[in-house]
Amino acid sequence: MSTPTGFDELIHPATRLSVVALLAATEWADFPFIRDSLSLSDSALSKQLHTLEEAGYLEIRKEGGGRRRRTKVRLTDRGRTAFEGHVAALRAIVEDAPTATPAATAPAEDTTTPAPATAAEVTR
Amino acid sequence: MTTPVDAERAWQDLQRIRVPQERVYDEVERGASGEAATTYITATLMWLFVASWGLTLPDWIFWLLTVAYVVLLGTLITFAARRARVRLHRSRHTWRSVASALAGAVVSLTTLLLSGFLARSLHLPLPTVIQATVSVGVHLLCVGPANRWTRSALRSHGARLDPSGSRPAPTAP
Repeated sequence: MSTPTGFDELIHPATRLSVVALLAATEWADFPFIRDSLSLSDSALSKQLHTLEEAGYLEIRKEGGGRRRRTKVRLTDRGRTAFEGHVAALRAIVEDAPTATPAATAPAEDTTTPAPATAAEVTR
Repeated sequence: MTTPVDAERAWQDLQRIRVPQERVYDEVERGASGEAATTYITATLMWLFVASWGLTLPDWIFWLLTVAYVVLLGTLITFAARRARVRLHRSRHTWRSVASALAGAVVSLTTLLLSGFLARSLHLPLPTVIQATVSVGVHLLCVGPANRWTRSALRSHGARLDPSGSRPAPTAP
């Protein structure tokens, strides 16, 4: 199987994918909001954010000082493009696989419906 | 570098994307529901400002009050924005956001002018107090439903933009 265009190794890990997916819906988000929404620890989130920041996918901005200090995170245009490309690649993989019967169609909220695998190897 | 990705994993990743995006909409709705204090403070400032038109004040005091009113509104908006933990991306807003802002401005201005005109035409006592009360009353009556109408479309609009789509789960060949 050919490599889907846009598949992004950096975004692919589950935690980073969730972080980028959350930020894709926002202009910016507060560090504590991302942490709470994704049930991550400060250090785990910080590590993922810095990885994405180094790749130019995120901007991390600190505002205020003392107890009012806030950290805002924003997806850059590059990050947004990478996320859209990655999602398009994932869709391409799914669309190349045979479709389930109508009974197996998953509702939007259902994230646990099993989907038997059709192997495809993505090379980058 | 090689990453084995099967259709099942890709499908699960697409479903995973939805969960954090739903959290964003939850937060936007939660933040909007906590805006009552801001609405009442805005209404109070508006009432005081419009009612002050009835006082015989020198021009410079009138302009000073106008500047103070604008600065206070700006400060209020800034504080409200600072309290927010997240801001929805511009692509996630709908035509309803622009429509409700425009309609709000038109309704407020029309009420202000019409109530002032009627209060003076009918020679009612304290016309600017009546003008202020009617304008603030209409503002308070309209702002809640308008905000709910705007917000109600956000999540469904976001679902339409959802890149994960709604394709059925893949099966083994």
